Amino acid sequence: MASVALVGAIIFVYYRIVPVNATTVALTLLLSILGIATKWGLTESVVASIVAMLGFNYFFLPPVGTFTITDPQNWVALLAFLVTAITGSQLSVRARRRAAEAIARRQEVERLYALGQAMLLSGSVRSAARDAVNSIIRTFEIPAVVFFSKAEDEFFRSDAQTLVISDDQLRGIADREEPLIDRQRQVAIVPIRLGGQVIGSLGFIGGTLSTAALQALAYLVAIGIERARSIEQASKVEASRHSEVLKATLLDALAHDLKTPLTSIKGAVTHLLAKPHAPEEQELLTIANEEADRLHRLVVEVLEMARIEAAKLHPDRAPHVIGDIISASLKAQEESMKGRNVELRIPASLPAVDVDFEFIQQVLKQLLENAVNYSPPGSPLTISAELVSEKIVLGVADQGKGIAEDEQARIFDKFYRGRTSRDNVLGTGLGLSIAKGIVEAHGGKIWVTSEPGKGSVFSVALPIYNAELVR
Amino acid sequence: MSGAKILVVDDEPQIRRMMRATLAGSGHQVDEARTGEEALEKFRVFLPDLVLLDLNMPGMGGLETCRALRNGSDVPIIILTVRNAEREKVEALDAGADDYVCKPFGMQELLARIRAALRRAPSSAESGPHEFVSPDLEIDFDNRRVRVNEKNVRLTPKEFELLRHLVSRAGKPVPHRELLQAVWGPDYGDETDYLRVFINHLRKKIEPDPAQPKYVLTEPWIGYRFAIPENQ
Repeated sequence: MASVALVGAIIFVYYRIVPVNATTVALTLLLSILGIATKWGLTESVVASIVAMLGFNYFFLPPVGTFTITDPQNWVALLAFLVTAITGSQLSVRARRRAAEAIARRQEVERLYALGQAMLLSGSVRSAARDAVNSIIRTFEIPAVVFFSKAEDEFFRSDAQTLVISDDQLRGIADREEPLIDRQRQVAIVPIRLGGQVIGSLGFIGGTLSTAALQALAYLVAIGIERARSIEQASKVEASRHSEVLKATLLDALAHDLKTPLTSIKGAVTHLLAKPHAPEEQELLTIANEEADRLHRLVVEVLEMARIEAAKLHPDRAPHVIGDIISASLKAQEESMKGRNVELRIPASLPAVDVDFEFIQQVLKQLLENAVNYSPPGSPLTISAELVSEKIVLGVADQGKGIAEDEQARIFDKFYRGRTSRDNVLGTGLGLSIAKGIVEAHGGKIWVTSEPGKGSVFSVALPIYNAELVR
Repeated sequence: MSGAKILVVDDEPQIRRMMRATLAGSGHQVDEARTGEEALEKFRVFLPDLVLLDLNMPGMGGLETCRALRNGSDVPIIILTVRNAEREKVEALDAGADDYVCKPFGMQELLARIRAALRRAPSSAESGPHEFVSPDLEIDFDNRRVRVNEKNVRLTPKEFELLRHLVSRAGKPVPHRELLQAVWGPDYGDETDYLRVFINHLRKKIEPDPAQPKYVLTEPWIGYRFAIPENQ
């Protein structure tokens, strides 16, 4: 009504106070209608233009004092008022809408930024998900939000209101990868995507967000969640690396502390042994010396087993000729192999094995030692190597008593000693389990085939070297 | 060789006690140090003929001590350690040690190693070459002097013996075992890693381009060969 009052005021002023010609009055009214149109909109300006036309007609156009329009020019005036009113109001409405949209966008951007900031601080996927839900509610003033994380198959709901959206609906959107926006029910569900992969979905109840804002928000949440996930994984890796280093340090310290007193004992006893003694003294010193050696062996094997179990065994793999490893092992066992006839069955052209020389030599030494210890003195041994389905299979065969079937699997267990030999062969029961650990650390296999009364064959399958496989 | 002055460096008191008793009982003169720092001090005063050095010590570790000793002296150094890994061995030899013994050890073995390390003039010394001269390398075997490009180069006794043996068989491949026994003694033969490290050191000191040696050549699978350049 202010517009009608304004038009009335102009007409009153020109009619009673400042007499001017009709054209001036018309122009003034036109300007005021334009002003009304931009300020108050279409309805007001149309009303104002009709009032202005009537007033102009009645007070200024001849015949003055009547609503009659004689001159067709006056129709032009009325039309001009109306067109101005409509055009002006539309222009201004559009401009105002644009301004409102710009403000809304700016607010959305600001809110998205705030959300991004809030999620940046989350250290785990769970806390990132919870932070996302809370910050969306806080910064976007949306009543209720639910986030579904596909990898964890978990739902993070802000409150019970979100139950309007069911678990299956959220899963469905995450699977179909298409948003669902129901403006009537004020429900929107969008998939959360990152790098072409859907990581979950986000549901909103209430609130009015543009589709663009919803998408930006979904993207932001995706980045936040994935960032938290990679931090979580990185810290897990770091933690496990840390504990590995700790175990290795502990084992080294333990090795040092166990071997140091042994060194003093061994040094003292061997020094005494080198001097002439009465027979019983000699015998006692020999026992002390042998037992020091046995204790040392036990310490070494237990520590090695601990290292294998802590997955601290890192084979330094390189291509090696299997024949070299066999001859090095035979050489190391030379002493105990005296008087044994060893048959070697090694084809000339075998591919190289991809192993740690020292470790595999240790395995072979153990197998040779076992073969010697568990077969009658002087009986022959056979060492073989052959290519079987892309692996080199090493075999150590003896002609001993053999191993009963029920024992064959157990002899690779820690501290297990064969029934028939546990009383007459020295050992810790760790040798074969260490050998197994070493072979498995190479991605190989170790097994035994045996026929009681005839002998046993221990076999080790080792990977062959493949130059094309770049590690 | 008995009656040598031996410096025992170990942080474990019981090991020092045992070593003092056994080494003194074998006719050696013994002094001890508990740390690497103390070893460097004692070394200047005691002037030992040989150092037995523990690898695992708090503070200045064995390797560092070994390098520090080697920096100013060519005294034989035997590393004693509880660790028995190829890598450790190479590291110790690389730091300048002459030999490497794993704890626990038998006293007879240690004494044999000590004898081998102290052996300075092998029997081949007199019958061997007296000198070798080429434009960029001069070796005076009698006075144990080596000059590379007119500059004096200091070799450790083991490096020198290794070079002497190779030169005495110049032009012919010398097998690993023969070299080890000539330089370290009859108890050696399988320690090819020792040779690898010492040949490396030797090349760094006497070769104009250690990456492309022209004097000390590798004979694959067999050993090493001292080559006399053809333009001589």
